[in-house]
Amino acid sequence: MVPTEYYVALSAIIFTIGALGVLTRRSAIMIFLSVELMLNAANLALVAYARQWSAAGADVALSGQAAVFIILAIAAAEVAVGLGILVAIFRYRTSSDVDGLAQVRL
Amino acid sequence: MSLLLIVLPLVTSLMLWLPMDVLAKRIIAIIGSSLTFIAALVLPASGLDVRWLPGLEAYFSIDSSGAARTLILVAALMVIPTVVIAGQVLERHKGTFLALLLLMQASLNGLFLAKDLVLYYIFWEATLIPSIIMLGVWGGEKRREAALKYLIYAVTSSFLMLIAILALRPLSGAASYRLADLLVATPQLALSVQISLFLGFAVAFAVKVPLMPLHMWLPDFHEQNHPSGVADVAGTLYKVGAWGFFAWALPLLPAAAASLSPLMMTLAALTALYAAVIATAQTNLKRFLAYASLSHMGIAGVGVFALNATGLSGAMYLIAAQMASTGGLFLIAGMLYARRQSFEMDDYGGLAKSAPTLAAISMFVLFASIGVPGLSNFPGEFMSLMGAYQAFPVLGVVATLAVIAAGVYGVNMFQRIYQGQETTPVNDVSLFEVLVLVPVIGGILWLGIAPSPQLAQIDAQARFSAQRPSVPVHGEVVPNDEMLPDASPDGLPEDMPEPVPDEDIRERMPDTLASTSESNLQTLVGGN
Amino acid sequence: MIVAIAAFAPLITLIGALTTGLLGKKLKEPWAGIIASSAVGLAFVLACLAFIGLTQTDSVRVPLWSYLQAGGFNLSLGFVLDRLSVLMMLIITGVGLLIHVYSLGYMHGDVNFSRYFAYLNLFVTAMLILVLADSYLLTFVGWEGVGVCSYLLIGFWYGERVNANAARKAFIVNRVGDVGFLLAMFTCVLAFGTLNIAEVGEAAQGLESGSTILTVIGLFFLLAAAGKSAQLPLQVWLPDAMAGPTPVSALIHAATMVTAGVYLVARSGALFAQTPQASAAVAWVGAFTAIIAAATAFTQTDIKKILAYSTVSQLGYMFVGVGVGAYWAGMFHVFTHAFFKALLFLAAGSVIHAMHEEQDVRNMGGLAKHLPITHITALVAVLAISGVPFLAGFFSKDAILASAFNSQLVAGYGSHLLYLVLLGGAVMTAFYMFRWYYLVFQGKERFGIEIRQKLHESPRVMTLPLVILAVMSVLAGYFGLPEFMFTNRFELWLAPVTETTASFAHPPLLVEWILMSLSVMASFGGLGYAYWVYALKAGEPAERWAQTLGQFTKFADEAFGFDQLYARLLTRPAERLAAASSTSDKVVVDGGIRSSLTSVGVLSRVFSVFQSGFVRAYALAILSGVALLIVVVLVAGGGQ
Repeated sequence: MVPTEYYVALSAIIFTIGALGVLTRRSAIMIFLSVELMLNAANLALVAYARQWSAAGADVALSGQAAVFIILAIAAAEVAVGLGILVAIFRYRTSSDVDGLAQVRL
Repeated sequence: MSLLLIVLPLVTSLMLWLPMDVLAKRIIAIIGSSLTFIAALVLPASGLDVRWLPGLEAYFSIDSSGAARTLILVAALMVIPTVVIAGQVLERHKGTFLALLLLMQASLNGLFLAKDLVLYYIFWEATLIPSIIMLGVWGGEKRREAALKYLIYAVTSSFLMLIAILALRPLSGAASYRLADLLVATPQLALSVQISLFLGFAVAFAVKVPLMPLHMWLPDFHEQNHPSGVADVAGTLYKVGAWGFFAWALPLLPAAAASLSPLMMTLAALTALYAAVIATAQTNLKRFLAYASLSHMGIAGVGVFALNATGLSGAMYLIAAQMASTGGLFLIAGMLYARRQSFEMDDYGGLAKSAPTLAAISMFVLFASIGVPGLSNFPGEFMSLMGAYQAFPVLGVVATLAVIAAGVYGVNMFQRIYQGQETTPVNDVSLFEVLVLVPVIGGILWLGIAPSPQLAQIDAQARFSAQRPSVPVHGEVVPNDEMLPDASPDGLPEDMPEPVPDEDIRERMPDTLASTSESNLQTLVGGN
Repeated sequence: MIVAIAAFAPLITLIGALTTGLLGKKLKEPWAGIIASSAVGLAFVLACLAFIGLTQTDSVRVPLWSYLQAGGFNLSLGFVLDRLSVLMMLIITGVGLLIHVYSLGYMHGDVNFSRYFAYLNLFVTAMLILVLADSYLLTFVGWEGVGVCSYLLIGFWYGERVNANAARKAFIVNRVGDVGFLLAMFTCVLAFGTLNIAEVGEAAQGLESGSTILTVIGLFFLLAAAGKSAQLPLQVWLPDAMAGPTPVSALIHAATMVTAGVYLVARSGALFAQTPQASAAVAWVGAFTAIIAAATAFTQTDIKKILAYSTVSQLGYMFVGVGVGAYWAGMFHVFTHAFFKALLFLAAGSVIHAMHEEQDVRNMGGLAKHLPITHITALVAVLAISGVPFLAGFFSKDAILASAFNSQLVAGYGSHLLYLVLLGGAVMTAFYMFRWYYLVFQGKERFGIEIRQKLHESPRVMTLPLVILAVMSVLAGYFGLPEFMFTNRFELWLAPVTETTASFAHPPLLVEWILMSLSVMASFGGLGYAYWVYALKAGEPAERWAQTLGQFTKFADEAFGFDQLYARLLTRPAERLAAASSTSDKVVVDGGIRSSLTSVGVLSRVFSVFQSGFVRAYALAILSGVALLIVVVLVAGGGQ
């Protein structure tokens, strides 16, 4: 069995990539994808721990996997709404540069 | 059944958001408000008690007995003409305004009916939203400033109340946020704790009474609201501060109320006199009405803080009565504005000649407002002042002096607008306007000539609130500093007797307030 | 049963008021007046029936409905028809009917004919409620009601600023009195727990005479009575109230409403008789007012204002009557005064009508031959008010004087001095009334040929009430003949209501005779002197005094400066206070709040720096925040 630490390390790497992506990319689409990466990094960590707990026979074993499903559902909803907004902005401004959106604030 | 009083206006309000043409919306609003009035008139007093937010121990607990019924009834009566006029005179977004008005009525009714503190707070805040929007969207030139000012007063003060509410249950160890449970537990709070909690409530309520010096939002609020006066009527409906003291702060924190009543009554007496004096010097009709109304609220305030049944009943009755009289005056002010596009009283004069009926109706409503006997405000004013005089004679006399000032501002206003040299003639009231004012006039006569049935309803609750300060404290009073740090998870110090519903106190609670108790108020009062 | 029906009287006049008021201009001219007059006439018939019924019984209670209830305090409304209230009913509806009829002629051609009669009927309604009430609260309903009607009628011709101001003044001064009434009621409830007049009276009898609480209640009631009855220090409104139509002055400001204060004290006799202090205050207020108002009447030149000051002065007499404990005597003067003072005002109205709105007596004179009926009736009234023997005023005034002299109730507060003051007042009354009569009806004609040509006696609808009132001004006195010679029917009639603990000395017959002859001498002295001054010397001595006394005359002419004093002491400071608080309310209170608003604004600007709108900056902030939290948790050792 692959040790849990590996999974966690992979998850940390993916998460860092995602975080850096959010911080450095200006395109809203890229930021969006980076956020997805971060979410999935978290999912990976969750299933990894869930597996470890279930191997140890703990009765919280499945909560991690349940959490993953919730995150997946939320991510899907978020994509639906978020992409909708993005498309609307893109139509209006013909660009998806998030910095340009700063002027939208009050 | 009492739920209907909230649901009817709420459903009507929601229906008004549906796309349809304005006329249909107006008709729906009129039907909805009339149904609410009929419901308020005919439904017997009843209650509802459902477990609602388990974690918070909050219940959806409402009860339509007592003073709430009177207030709801008069408010419902006033909503009808307001809906009719608003549908007629507003320039834009009529449907939305009507929806907000009915939403306001729904939350107002909830506020009066609530028998659970959390529920009460929710309705308290819910009334704020429609009134802010009405001011901010349909208001006059400086509506933003007025709305901001009003918002800051309201939100800041409500926040203090929220803190007090959140602290109340843990500190007192009450089983839930229902009034019945709180009533059992709160007398055991130490005086210092009671006072701090009371101050939290008091600030929120004082803003909405309003009491000096927290009244400054009121003149701007009224001056900037839509010139037709429809939003102002909504404003007069929810002078809910005195209700808050009456229904919550006094019964829940009796010791604090008793020890702070001289201070609060001084504020109220000064408000009554100060506002009446200022009203004599106003030249803007709406500001004038705002200050006149402030003076009435001061009188209601002295009645409340008299802490006796006479004063409390009188104050509640006055609040109901001023909905009709002050509300009516705002509607009349709107009619005057429609004729001359001005609220400056100096722009008017001698209108009685060209508009005798309007003058007669104005005079009637004005006399009701300044407390001429036989009309709506008198019974409440009389009993408030009498209660005040019995509790603190000097303050009672100070507040009674406002009666003179009321005479001055009343005839001043009438003289400026209707008497003297005739200015350009205006149209007399149209049939539409007369019909709209019929409920107002009817309400004024009804409240002024036969107050007894309504007072009987208010009386039981007033007596209960009045005798709370004499409820003996059960268990030892635990000093404040010992109480907080050692509090067990539910906020109770270990060494304190468990404040589970105490049979002794339960027995002394009226069935209107303690839904589990079968004993009625007569035994309660007789027992003391 | 027959008595109880009279309780419908207020309802009838209310219906009259509503009919005439709501139909308004739709009613052709005489009809509003006819409806209103028949309503009052019907009420008068009911009052008469009640009067007949009351010969069998003392009083009848008519419960109405429950009004207030709160805590232990309950109050039901009800009427009580006893001998006092029915007497007042007779005056109100009887004199009221005559004045309604008179108004048919006087208000002829006024555009607001219906409105006038609506107000008049409304007034009668309120006044009837006032006198019929069985509790102070219901009395107060009528009390404020008549104040409101008085306001409406004084300002009837509101187009002129003066009239509207006079109405305003009357209303506000009356409100000051009303506060006294309210406080008296509050104190009653505090002391006795009831507002029922009879119960308060009984409770007061149970207390020791002169208890502080009774005195306090009495003094508050005095303030109320002084406001309504235009006594010191609240007398200032009545002369201005003459701005209203003259029949209104006759009905409201002479015969009925202004006597409400006297009625109140008489009605509360059981209470006042237990408090010599408050009673003495009532009597002395009345005596001072009687003198001061009489002195003011000397120099007035407005035909109605002279009568107004005369009314104030006569009301002072009534106050002395009820103040010294002779409640029947005070009411007796109310009764006789209602006739001759209403008559004087109506005669003045007839003159004003004939002279085309001329009100200055300096422009009159010699009207006797042009207005014969007015002249004769006015002469009767002048003689009656002056206290000429065998006319109404003589008996009632003498009753008050004798009671003041003999009173045991206020014996410790200078009852004999009261007597002397009133005797002096009687001389003054005779003097200024003769002056009034002579300047109007006798002497040279001081008006132009134009007016002279148009002079005419008033129509019969106006002169008939004058004649009836003149007859009553003669006869009314015989109901209350002096006790020491005859049976005093008036006193006996009222005895069930006004008999109290107040007692009177019974001096030897000789003293009674001396007192009476002094009254007669006072009356003739005043008349004779005035005759000498105005008829024989053509007013020249009066001008001489005016010059000798100089400033004092001016002072008296301005009603002893009360108006200026109040303006300087109360009105203007109050106005300034109102203006100042209005400003300070904006600047200080609102300013304080505004500055706190500003600080909120500054804070918000500081925080809004963080809301840059750059999404990636937010993300960085979130990330570093999370990182920081992790570090903290690690360093602190986490949950272990």
